[in-house]
Amino acid sequence: MRNLLWLQGGACSGNTLSLLNASDPDVFEFFSQHNIKLLWHPSLSLDSIGVKRIMEDIINGKIRLNIFVFEGSVILGPNNSGTFNMFAGKPMKDWVKYLAPLSEYIIAVGDCASFGGIPAADPNPTQSTGLQFFKKEIGGFLGKNFRTKSGLPIINISGCPAHPDWILTTISLISEGKMTEDMLDEFNRPKIFYSTTTQFGCPRQPYFTYKISSKELGHKEGCLYFDLGCRGAYTKSPCNSILWNNQSSKTRVGTPCMGCTEFDFPTFNFFHTEKNRSGIPKRLPLGMSRGTYVTFSAVAKGSAPQFLVRPLIKKKGDWIE
Amino acid sequence: MNEKIISPLNRVEGDLDLKVVFRGNKVIEAYPMSRLFRGIEIILKNKYPMDSLVITPRICGICGGSHLMSAVEALDMAYKAEVPPNAVLLRNIMALAEMGQNDVRHTYLMFMIDTVNKKYEKMDFYKDMVTRWAPFYGTSYKAAVKWSKRYTEIYAIFGGQWPHGSSMVPGGVTADPYPNDILKARGIINEITSEFIEKVMLGGPLDQFLQLKSVKDLDQWSQDYPNGDISKLWIYGREMKWDKIGKGSNFLMSFGHVPSAEDYTTENPKLRFKRGILNLDTMEFSSIDQANMLEFVTKSFYSYSNGDIGLHPFEGETNPLSPFSNDKYTFTKTFRYKLNGKLIAPEVGALSMMAVDNNPLIIDLLNKLGSNVLLREIARFVRLAIISEIIIEELEKFRFGEPTYKKPLDIAESKGYGLVEASRGSLGHWIVIKDNKIFNYQVVTPTQINMGPEDSYGNISHMSKALIGTIVEDIENPIELAHIVRSHDACMVCNVHVLDGNVEKMVLRL
Repeated sequence: MRNLLWLQGGACSGNTLSLLNASDPDVFEFFSQHNIKLLWHPSLSLDSIGVKRIMEDIINGKIRLNIFVFEGSVILGPNNSGTFNMFAGKPMKDWVKYLAPLSEYIIAVGDCASFGGIPAADPNPTQSTGLQFFKKEIGGFLGKNFRTKSGLPIINISGCPAHPDWILTTISLISEGKMTEDMLDEFNRPKIFYSTTTQFGCPRQPYFTYKISSKELGHKEGCLYFDLGCRGAYTKSPCNSILWNNQSSKTRVGTPCMGCTEFDFPTFNFFHTEKNRSGIPKRLPLGMSRGTYVTFSAVAKGSAPQFLVRPLIKKKGDWIE
Repeated sequence: MNEKIISPLNRVEGDLDLKVVFRGNKVIEAYPMSRLFRGIEIILKNKYPMDSLVITPRICGICGGSHLMSAVEALDMAYKAEVPPNAVLLRNIMALAEMGQNDVRHTYLMFMIDTVNKKYEKMDFYKDMVTRWAPFYGTSYKAAVKWSKRYTEIYAIFGGQWPHGSSMVPGGVTADPYPNDILKARGIINEITSEFIEKVMLGGPLDQFLQLKSVKDLDQWSQDYPNGDISKLWIYGREMKWDKIGKGSNFLMSFGHVPSAEDYTTENPKLRFKRGILNLDTMEFSSIDQANMLEFVTKSFYSYSNGDIGLHPFEGETNPLSPFSNDKYTFTKTFRYKLNGKLIAPEVGALSMMAVDNNPLIIDLLNKLGSNVLLREIARFVRLAIISEIIIEELEKFRFGEPTYKKPLDIAESKGYGLVEASRGSLGHWIVIKDNKIFNYQVVTPTQINMGPEDSYGNISHMSKALIGTIVEDIENPIELAHIVRSHDACMVCNVHVLDGNVEKMVLRL
């Protein structure tokens, strides 16, 4: 029997709702299959003891805390008091401070808990931070050298929200004792999910390859990177290989990737590709230099198959070029 | 006098504590206290207008699609966008799919589970309630976990993902679905309807349920289809006296919902669900003008540059204060509507939406019972049934090959607002654009409308009214208060502490 406690800081509950969308197995089947006891969860529990007692029992050593899941940012404001986020009579940050060293594993679920996310966006009115990262910098709330009882750092499952499969797979690896530090990337995210970019599996990939742009929103064809602000070429996520709600992904329905699994989310000026004076996108595809990009563009455009440069299914419009 | 603090009273939209003062077993004062500030309105300042489509859905994980719809309607207005009929249909389908997901999850995961409370152990139908509605194990609970997910699949087909898709944009939607997408969404909604709505929730055929017009009809339904949850709720709910608690405001308000696809406009739109305010004392209907809306911060942890006045959201300010103050106690602002020169504090939610739309069954129930906890839940069942039908209608109207987007003009200086009905009530976004950047962005949420503190004249809001006067059977187990708060779709749990001198004693998880 493993105990799991789920708390929320500067959160919207998006990761909780995302988790409820899990299928095969659903979240309750998963817990029973993996012998996980949910000590408390802000939207799923019904017990008569209450979360405050549970947290105090953990702190007093009466209850073991195997897996501590935190959703939302850690709020330090105003003036490092943490009182913008009060929970069960204390600033939430204090509960985290007491519970973290007693946890065998800690999972930061979602972009806010991982990096600070939306609450930490400029001007960061609540002094929000992630558990062990503040945006790109390692450290965050618990500090660079913090380790849980298992010896691992905080495991970040970034994304806004995180996909239920990413969350449950990570918990299953932990509960089967298979999670090791070398399975994590430089942001302590499980490499199995955060190695390939959002472009992997994107049905628009041929349009990217031949530099054929969708010039306006509202269409299923054309690449969204060149004009419409898609961040899929330099964002690490499996969104187009492990689909959302068993159905789709942002880029499949013509919505540009917002880069929500990365430390710099939200970057703002969404839906728009920022370019420098020579018309080259400011953010280049992962691993590409300006020189290679310029060469790639020229070659790609010149060798584009003609059938791709016009609408394939809806025969009207000059929105693709 | 005995004071209880319910803390934390968690909700999807932030943490809430509730301070209740008893005299004997009767609530004489009630203060909802919002304990979380995230500063979304501040973050939006000086960003690009379209960024609101990505940032505002993250206000709430369970109703982000409603925020997206409010935000996009505000931008449609600001950019004078023409929105093709196809796009309006898809937006409606997404908004309703999210609402369906919410209503199922709210009803079974957040509300009905309280029927296992020990207060009801002696009722002869307790075993049946536990069998159906107990958390994790109840038959209906399990079905709700399974089927609520399917609504999100409909959303994802057109919105890419749920939660937090961003496929609604000024001028339409980013999606350009093909006939197979429409077919799949229809398949899912049909399956939800036949396997869950009809079998579990209603116990009988949907089209017949939609014919119910009166309390008598509902009585008949519960005899003809006794196995439906609605029938059990109607019978057991009155036995548990849920129809006797939680009245609250005399005014029910709805911003209306589901704009007509053929002639979409942002000013005075044609809506499938009416926009307006219903006076419960006179059953009189009034239309709504957003210019009559005000926000106060008398008791909220914010300051206004011009002192203690009500501000319209276009002029709204969000200047947070440290949450330590003798006379302020919450991060929620106070919403007021000026009706015939008087400030009113309305109730919003599924019940208000159905009542303002003049749904005959709900109107008859209101006439006979007034507003209460039981009606709020029944209104969600009714709404879910109607949603099924509208999603199918909107899908049928989609025309493949017709546009789903029309690029609007860029207007550097403009204003707009979007009023929609989110799952838990009326939701509004107001945007002021200057120099192509967001100069001001203000959001009024349903929770704020229901649970705000007093205004500068000392008038309390709906939730406090609904709680005050409630008689609790067992002060150590004030489940009645849980029902009242929860019936407003308080999605999260909360704890009641009893203050004995200075010792807090936890008694109940709500």
